[in-house]
Amino acid sequence: MRFDAALALAACLAPAAAVFEDDAHHIDFHYALLGLPKHDATFFQKPFAGSKASLLYTISQNQTIGVVNPKDGALVWRQASSHDGAGPGLLRSGEGQDTVVSAAGDRISAWSASDGRLVWETRVAGATVEDLEILEQEDGITDTEAKDAIVLLGNGKPGVKRLDGKTGRTKWTFEDASGDTPFQVSTSPTTIYYISLHTPMIGASKLRVTSLSPITGKKLDQYTLSSDSDIQSREHILFAGANTAAPLIAWTDVANKVLKINIIGTKGVSTFHAPSGEPVERIILHAPDRVNSLAHFLVEYQTAVGHSADVYHVDLKKSTISKAYSLPALKGKGTFTTSTSDANVYFTRVTAEEVTVVSSVSHGVLGRWPVRGTPALAGAYPVHGTSEVVVKADSATAVRSAILFSNGQWSLIRNGEIAWTRPEFLSRVVSAVWAELPEEEEALAHKLEAEGDRNLVSAYIHRVERHIRDLEHFPAWLQNIPNRVLGNVIGKSEESAIEEIHHDTFGFHKLVIVVTERGRLAALDVGSKGKVVWHIDLNQFSPKTTFHSPSMRAFAGYVEVKDASLEGSIYINSTTGGLISSQDIEVRSNVAAEGQSLISFDLVDGDLEGFLDTKSSPEAIWTFEPPKGERIISYTARPVKDPVASIGKVLGDRRVLYKYLNPNLVLVTTVVESSRTASVYLLDSASGQLLHTSSHRDVDVSRPISSTISENWFSYSFTIDSKSATSSRGYQLVVAEMYESPLPDDRGPLGASPNASTLQPSEGNGDAAKPHVLLQTWHIPEEISHMTVTQTRQGITSRELLVTLPASNSIVGIPRQAIDPRRPIGRDPTAQEQSEGLTKYTPMILFDPKWHLNHKYELIGVKNVITSESGIESTSLVFAYGLDIFGTRVAPSFAFDILGKGFNKVQMLLTVVALFVSVLFVAPLVQRKQINSLWTT
Amino acid sequence: MRYSIFSAACMASGSSAARFMLHMPATQLLNPSTLLSTTHATLQASGAPVDAHLTRSNSFNFNNVSAGSYLATVHCRDYVFEPLRIDVSMEETVEGSGELKEVVRAWQTFVGNEWDNKGESRGEGSNGLVIEVKPLAPKYYYNERSGFAPLSFLKSPMILMALFSMVLIFGMPYLMENMDPETKAEFEEMQKKSPLSSGTNPAQQLQNFDLASWMAGKTETGVSSRGQSPAPQSKKRS
Repeated sequence: MRFDAALALAACLAPAAAVFEDDAHHIDFHYALLGLPKHDATFFQKPFAGSKASLLYTISQNQTIGVVNPKDGALVWRQASSHDGAGPGLLRSGEGQDTVVSAAGDRISAWSASDGRLVWETRVAGATVEDLEILEQEDGITDTEAKDAIVLLGNGKPGVKRLDGKTGRTKWTFEDASGDTPFQVSTSPTTIYYISLHTPMIGASKLRVTSLSPITGKKLDQYTLSSDSDIQSREHILFAGANTAAPLIAWTDVANKVLKINIIGTKGVSTFHAPSGEPVERIILHAPDRVNSLAHFLVEYQTAVGHSADVYHVDLKKSTISKAYSLPALKGKGTFTTSTSDANVYFTRVTAEEVTVVSSVSHGVLGRWPVRGTPALAGAYPVHGTSEVVVKADSATAVRSAILFSNGQWSLIRNGEIAWTRPEFLSRVVSAVWAELPEEEEALAHKLEAEGDRNLVSAYIHRVERHIRDLEHFPAWLQNIPNRVLGNVIGKSEESAIEEIHHDTFGFHKLVIVVTERGRLAALDVGSKGKVVWHIDLNQFSPKTTFHSPSMRAFAGYVEVKDASLEGSIYINSTTGGLISSQDIEVRSNVAAEGQSLISFDLVDGDLEGFLDTKSSPEAIWTFEPPKGERIISYTARPVKDPVASIGKVLGDRRVLYKYLNPNLVLVTTVVESSRTASVYLLDSASGQLLHTSSHRDVDVSRPISSTISENWFSYSFTIDSKSATSSRGYQLVVAEMYESPLPDDRGPLGASPNASTLQPSEGNGDAAKPHVLLQTWHIPEEISHMTVTQTRQGITSRELLVTLPASNSIVGIPRQAIDPRRPIGRDPTAQEQSEGLTKYTPMILFDPKWHLNHKYELIGVKNVITSESGIESTSLVFAYGLDIFGTRVAPSFAFDILGKGFNKVQMLLTVVALFVSVLFVAPLVQRKQINSLWTT
Repeated sequence: MRYSIFSAACMASGSSAARFMLHMPATQLLNPSTLLSTTHATLQASGAPVDAHLTRSNSFNFNNVSAGSYLATVHCRDYVFEPLRIDVSMEETVEGSGELKEVVRAWQTFVGNEWDNKGESRGEGSNGLVIEVKPLAPKYYYNERSGFAPLSFLKSPMILMALFSMVLIFGMPYLMENMDPETKAEFEEMQKKSPLSSGTNPAQQLQNFDLASWMAGKTETGVSSRGQSPAPQSKKRS
């Protein structure tokens, strides 16, 4: 089969360094994240009726559905929303069902609860789902088969739909043409209540409750509740009870002093007063969501210093609400969770110190567990959670609570012990940089430099003093030796502590500082499986700012954080996460030496303009204006640190093609929507000169066009548009190499001159040298959303093109050899070309599974990949971020300067011992022979 | 061109929406029930691709697909699937009747080939067509480490050379002893004549061996050979 043949060809074409099985999961790490879980959509649930263990289901604030094993916090399955849909993310589950139903944007999907496969999916075009409920009972009878879903639509087409639980087909639709803002649906065993916010032209908003028949969807009744101008928008409504035997709706006044509760279906409003004393900041109502549970609920009052709660009972016959008892006020923050067992309702109070369980019937404490804190949760308090309680003979024997903490850790507290924590605060990283540590080597270099200035004697004394000072590390080093040797031989070397980042031999322990959408800053050690070294909330430094997409720059010892909504910038110490005031930072002299100036460039009004850094007047020294109709979509510059080991490429006949190496290269991508054309322009950023242009027709300009540039080559990829009758379809990857001259052993027009200037080319020899560009295109099976190149210390190691494939959730490292534009076309390579490692050109590159850096991990939502050199030449560090976080290290030319796990140290030792023993045996033999030979001759 | 006819048909009918399903049958290679829930299929033509999740019944459902020619790809962590070309068109059921009906056709397609270069047909029919997708191969992500195997150890040329020289060193004296005196004398005569052991005792030569001067290439033969060799180029080669 042709495809098989191609696959085999691709496999043998580039024997790239793949991941070794014993290295996988050791040199790399992956945080499969969900995001911060939403309170009303996090629950324990059995994946199917009759299952022994329950799983923890949640939908996060970025609409990722995740299912976690409550035992160890491992992800069972997850489905990330590919569309940034409007509206809230909702997740509901019926009792005893084997599906969970989610809604995000205009999609309502049912997922198999145990493995996350799709059961059905329905789209409501032109509307967003505002609320979702499962119809537990119909006419008081529990449906044993698939339970139907009730969907509240808003934004354009307000209405209520009932969807079949098996197929997702609509059973009936109730359309609301009154112009009210839909708020919530609530079901009772006999009726469906549709609650909307009625805002008349004059006067305060009113709550309108419409009761619908579950069978036909016809309107049965409608009434409005006067809220006395308490409710202006939906944020003012505290709670609209879902699925309880007596659904409730509750709201407060603006000062949080008075709580008003209405039992849905009745017109009476009960009024309760919040506890006097400290002003109440927030009121939260916790009620069970099971139909057959007791109609009890808990109201939590949060103040600035503490929290307290009252428990209320609903009398269903009289339709009255009465206060049952109060839970004592506690200092510090805490949260309550509700859990049910048969008809009984239990409330679990979780604080940072203690977990207590009370029954809704009486205030007697059924169980109390002190919480043993962990460093991950130090200083954090519980925000919200969900619990499962086991009660035997009126005492709670076990309780487990999945709690979201204020520092973004989602953890499970089992009987007071922290069973696991998931660092959900790391999801949706928008920017990441490699931290530059204040290097010790530099300090040493300074000391040695200082010696050079002194006279001989004092320099000698200085040197001896330094050596004596260094001796103090000697005992510790000596003590460590047995441990290190033992650890090395057994092969179970314990991961070095974070303090060891400075004493890292191979340079694998590099810190990456990441910042998330919401302004949370964290440092991860890529060398020790992404361990979180520190993490802070930027909001504590500027409480008024709401971070949208902060950006960072790294300097020696600190990072600078900027945001559009932030005035100035925040400086954070890279190793500790502490705030540094801008005065403490020594103003670093620019990288440019005396008499030189830097040119920076930026997009201004759709043109790319270059500026002189030193000049205060922002006058462009060059402008790149794309041709009429073209729009610049992106530009990529050659990395500042891009060492090149060899200035030429040695051909098979020992002649040399000289690389075009210009440090100031910028690749600009432009598109024309109307003619579906994409063009790339290669510019010299010092002079603004155009060096190369190439253009492609029939490009799907709505899809990402990624590009990268390194050394003397650049590459970009795009999607072919089907609108015109193209001869081929799919995705293309273009790779171009630049040489000084098309002829080998020739350095082009500037070959003889020792200096050349791109700014004033005419003063040199003729025109500025334009590169000779070799360009080749390949078909690729998948779309590339982002590409970058590996980096090594000296640039000796061959580079790998790292491409992100969003469709298969992976990152692939394409070896340079496979995408060499000099691969011979239409003929087999000659012997000389073969000696260069060139193979015959094939029009497609299939991504060999062995090229995948992520192997079995599935990286969802990768936005960007950054690379860095490590301490050794062969290896480059890779870090990918987005929704997930992934880090690994790659050795594109194999790990030639470090012993891998394949090196058997025990075997080597045994060999040495065996040799030694054999020498011991042979030595007397040889001696005897020598003596004999002396006697005989 | 067939495709342009399709697009013309699409324009004429205004909106048309076909519905079909990609189904994974159980084969010897693959039990589709074991696939991960992140397995999904995409239909790409223009703009954002249409995405379908894997369902409980091991299939991908595509609803409301407008007329056009699509590249269908199944993305799976563990298996490679063949790409398909799926054409959706509106065609008259009976010639001249004016009644349009959705027709779905599926073929194999090949990456890096012309779009019109279709492979085997994978199905043709109206709405609700079930197209089977087959896995080509499982994906192997890991490199195997070459472990220690005694046989491969013995096969390596270095070890073979060492073994051969061992046999020579230990076997020669016995051979010499077992030779009859005439041949022995002849052999010794030959050895004396040979340039290798000219005059001196080889053992003595070995003992007086000056390693430093040998490494510096002090012998006459070494110098002459160096002079002739294209030294800089050979360095590059390495």
